Amino acid sequence: METTPVQTKPNGPVAANFVATGIACLVFGIFVVLNEFGGSIGDFLKFDANFGLGSGVGGLSGKVILAVIAYLISWGALYYVWRGKEVDFRRVLAASLILVGLGFLLTFPPVFLIFA
Amino acid sequence: MEVNNRELWTLIHGMVLGAVFLLAFGGGLAGLWSLREKLVTTDGVTERTPRLLIGTTVMAVVAWLTCLVGTWIVYPWYRAAPTEGLETTVQSAELAAFPRSWLLASEGTAQWHEFGMEWKEHVAWLAPFLATAVAFATIYYGAQLIHHGEMRRAMLVFLTLAFAAAGVAGVFGALITKSAPVA
Repeated sequence: METTPVQTKPNGPVAANFVATGIACLVFGIFVVLNEFGGSIGDFLKFDANFGLGSGVGGLSGKVILAVIAYLISWGALYYVWRGKEVDFRRVLAASLILVGLGFLLTFPPVFLIFA
Repeated sequence: MEVNNRELWTLIHGMVLGAVFLLAFGGGLAGLWSLREKLVTTDGVTERTPRLLIGTTVMAVVAWLTCLVGTWIVYPWYRAAPTEGLETTVQSAELAAFPRSWLLASEGTAQWHEFGMEWKEHVAWLAPFLATAVAFATIYYGAQLIHHGEMRRAMLVFLTLAFAAAGVAGVFGALITKSAPVA
């Protein structure tokens, strides 16, 4: 049977994206919790009113935008560090899944409403 | 028969974009699952790769669009504050124009907002990030993905998590809309 040539692309860039995804999920979850404290942080997260980014979205606008910023920055930084490199993907995946898991946990109402 | 502006955007959010994402998951899952060296010939890889690439990319784009439309177009209608003087403790016809307040006006429906909507509006946003990771890996490796079993399995996990997040959002979206439509 014919076989395809084995690739030599390093996994660094993809690993960077996986970790950045985990960071974005965690950052989003953290801001979901912080928003429940209300006060100045709750007001700050209203990016729709503060920065004119939409209308009537409320605190969700800030949570989303900050998570996207965290995602882009961490992806860019990790991409720069890991470009052209082969990293231990098993560890990268484990770290990413822990971060994503925390993101899921912190966006679950019985968890984040503890801080309300 | 007529569809108003709010109904149209709700349909685009849930029945078009959301449904495309959830349906595409099956294709993406099958494509990644069966992409194994012992199962696919060189010609098979060549034939499958563009489909997998387009499929995962469309999933990621649609996930972003679903969340953006849901958050910045539909959600403000859902959470709009009732007009001054409107009684907010009775589920009146007037209050029905403000779905969040309408749900909270009765103990029997308050959990649709306090649990359902609170979970939906947040967990949904994890899906675009997860789907983008899968799409990027597919674009990066292309036909060479077949040689990376560990990567492929990681992508399956992320794809499934994206589906789970979108699934929770989709189910609660449908149930909340049934109880208190934004139209």
